[in-house]
Amino acid sequence: MLSYLIRRLLLLIPTMIGATALIFFVMELSPVSVTNTLLSREGNVLPGARKAREEYLNRRYGLNNPPVVRYFKWLNGISPVGVKEAGEGFPGAWRFGFKTPDLGDSFPQSKKVSEIILDALPVTLLLQAISIPIAYGIAIWTGIFTARHRGKIQDIATGSGLLALWSLPVIWVSVMLIGFFANKHYFPWFPTGELHEPQSTEWTFLPGNGTRGWLLDTAWHLILPVVCLTYANFAYLSKLTRAALLDTLGADFVRTARAKGLGERVVLYRHAFRNSLLPLITVFASLLPVMITGSVVVEKVFSINGTGRMIIDSMLAKDTELFLSVSTITLLLQLVGYLLADFAYVLADPRVSYE
Amino acid sequence: MSEGGPPDNPTVGRPPGGASGPAEPAHGTVLAGASIAYEPGAVDRAATAVGGGGALPPPKRRAYLQQVVYDTFQNLRARFASGWIVLLMFLACFAPFLASSHPLLVKVDGKWSSPFVQHLGPADVVLPCVFVTGVVLLARRRLGMGQGVLLLIWVAAVTSVFAAGPDFYTALEAAGEGRGPVAGAWRLLARSPVLTALWYLTWVGMVAFAIVAALRWLPRRTAGVTAAILTPLCALLIVFPLRPPENVVYEQYRVLQAQGKTEFMLRTIVPYSPTDRLRDDPDARLTGPSAAHWAGTDAYGADLLSRMIHGCRIALAIGFIATGIEVLIGVFVGGLMGYFAGTIDLIGMRLIEIIEAIPRLVLLIAVTAAYGRNLYMMMAIIGLLGWTGDARFVRAEFLKLRKQDFVQAAVASGLPLRSILFRHMLPNGVTPVLVSASFGVASAILLESTLSFLGLGLVDEPSWGAMLEQARSGGAGFNWWIATFPGLLIFLTVFAYNLIGESVRDALDPKLLKRE
Repeated sequence: MLSYLIRRLLLLIPTMIGATALIFFVMELSPVSVTNTLLSREGNVLPGARKAREEYLNRRYGLNNPPVVRYFKWLNGISPVGVKEAGEGFPGAWRFGFKTPDLGDSFPQSKKVSEIILDALPVTLLLQAISIPIAYGIAIWTGIFTARHRGKIQDIATGSGLLALWSLPVIWVSVMLIGFFANKHYFPWFPTGELHEPQSTEWTFLPGNGTRGWLLDTAWHLILPVVCLTYANFAYLSKLTRAALLDTLGADFVRTARAKGLGERVVLYRHAFRNSLLPLITVFASLLPVMITGSVVVEKVFSINGTGRMIIDSMLAKDTELFLSVSTITLLLQLVGYLLADFAYVLADPRVSYE
Repeated sequence: MSEGGPPDNPTVGRPPGGASGPAEPAHGTVLAGASIAYEPGAVDRAATAVGGGGALPPPKRRAYLQQVVYDTFQNLRARFASGWIVLLMFLACFAPFLASSHPLLVKVDGKWSSPFVQHLGPADVVLPCVFVTGVVLLARRRLGMGQGVLLLIWVAAVTSVFAAGPDFYTALEAAGEGRGPVAGAWRLLARSPVLTALWYLTWVGMVAFAIVAALRWLPRRTAGVTAAILTPLCALLIVFPLRPPENVVYEQYRVLQAQGKTEFMLRTIVPYSPTDRLRDDPDARLTGPSAAHWAGTDAYGADLLSRMIHGCRIALAIGFIATGIEVLIGVFVGGLMGYFAGTIDLIGMRLIEIIEAIPRLVLLIAVTAAYGRNLYMMMAIIGLLGWTGDARFVRAEFLKLRKQDFVQAAVASGLPLRSILFRHMLPNGVTPVLVSASFGVASAILLESTLSFLGLGLVDEPSWGAMLEQARSGGAGFNWWIATFPGLLIFLTVFAYNLIGESVRDALDPKLLKRE
């Protein structure tokens, strides 16, 4: 198990360097420059002053260096092991060793990247932390239901319905939901966006004082975005559950269990179900990175300031540091997902071992 | 058929019950490449089934790929889905014939003219021709499946060449500064040699590919017919490129008609072009469905139905071309990885992991934000980042195939690598790619609409996703018709491709076949 884990970790390093390098150089090739973005924000200055200002900004942000140098500087910055100032980190006297990873600064926003990400990340994580368990819960139930009624009308109808649900574009669903259910001309049941009412900061946590309270308010705002985030995952996961369960139900040990007279429920839940969990776990591993990027559309439509919107904004402002950092976090989450999945395999299925 | 059939046809025997699945594609294999005795007419009947007929009893033996496609279209849902896609293709190919502001035929002051013809672009001419050719070929049922697929690739190549036509000539003219396109070509070459050379190479390569593919892969008679239709057309378009006037006046005939000056006027079914902003009728902005505008108008006054019809082109072009790139790269890389295994496989898997680690939507946003909104760029990016799924499929198949007897026999008889990989292994290992390809088309269409929805898509071109975005940002609250119709179109198209993808997967799965 340990050697397997170490191999996984080591293999991740080239993957991460490759992916971040690809993103860096794609952004580097573009004609947009962050200096110009900053200058245009400053407004009109005299031509000579503009030139001097441009040079100053380039020097200040290290943009005079060739792209390769800048990439490796950034890579050294985020790495926990690397070149550092003497006097910090682990062997203190050396100029090379362990140090605190630094995600760098966002030039257009004049802030530390880690601060920006920490602002946006909890919002997205909240959305996903609600929608993923819901998706899994309903999916497992539907999957079992369809697998039990295999080939019958329930199965075929649900199967087509789930595929249709999976094919529904989130851009359409979100627009329709917000258009019909958050609209005073149709059904004004839900708020049109954001996560809280502006005045909710003054409210108590639970309902009281004639207000609905912070918690209920947030839940009310979350309903539509969570529906948009959930339905596609749910459809996909139920199809997966059904396929996995059907696979297991055809196995010999299930026949044996039935032959020795076990009830249908026991066969299904104690014998078959646990053995069909592996594909669901695998998908969960790939859902973790989706947590960061997956809600780009939903956050845009519902005006929620999470990582999804941050990605678009950082892209448009050519905020290389911010964008690279988000990508790195996505990659790391993927690793965490894979590792968690590997552990979960062992828990779910005793036959799996990494020795 | 075994005599005249192309050597690329997969020739794996398959027992009638269809018991061999993807796990054992070469079950009951004879040396691939050596021809198995086809039942006469079997291929023709398979082609019938693909064409939507399928009333004939299933023949006993088919190549594996053909069997899978046959099984796929036994499924009623897959037939409906493909019907929908054929309808979209029809709309895409004949878009200007269905929706155009320019009258087909008009008589003003005793003079007959056809503004419609004057405003046709190259794609407007070539696409209908290709569509008609395709229908004729299918109706005559002379094509096997491999040839049918190649015809599709060929069609894609031809259309992409001519879709780029007007841009190409405009750029050449601009560079020539009034001295004609030839002078422009030289000047462009002198200005930025590498890029321009690449550009010319792509251009010449695509034309050459189209011609070579037609001669090499189509049956002689079909190639003759196709060439007879398309060659003079291509020649005409290259020598005298169709260039619709740059400043298009949409409303002139509407105005003339309102003044009662037209003696005769024949219009298309939807008498509005997709970029016709109805400047003669400022009140027409954001109106719901009515007799004049069946699907309403958008925020700038353009007719929504017309934009939806013309939008089919972008959606289908993105879907097919991006997926074509995906499949080509995926099959090639995956095949090499699977055949060589070992170090090449390890490196390839790392490459796949790197590419899969980057969310496609995010990189697409990066590229469009940096390089501007360009349809070809989008296709290329979607294709260049989407091949990993196909590569995984092909790799897995090739890993299984490489130790099989017929491959070993091919190696032992000293065949060149090209032949082993593409003649012997590929026909037996490429079938699972059908699954990822049809899901790939769906996801490419979705990606394009999402990008357009986020405001990073094409400017001014009718894209379904961009239309959808206007439902909210068009002002005046929520415009239900703009939300409903284009959204429904995206959904149905994606659904259709997913349905086909799923029934291919069912057809590939031996466990599901056992049920019957």
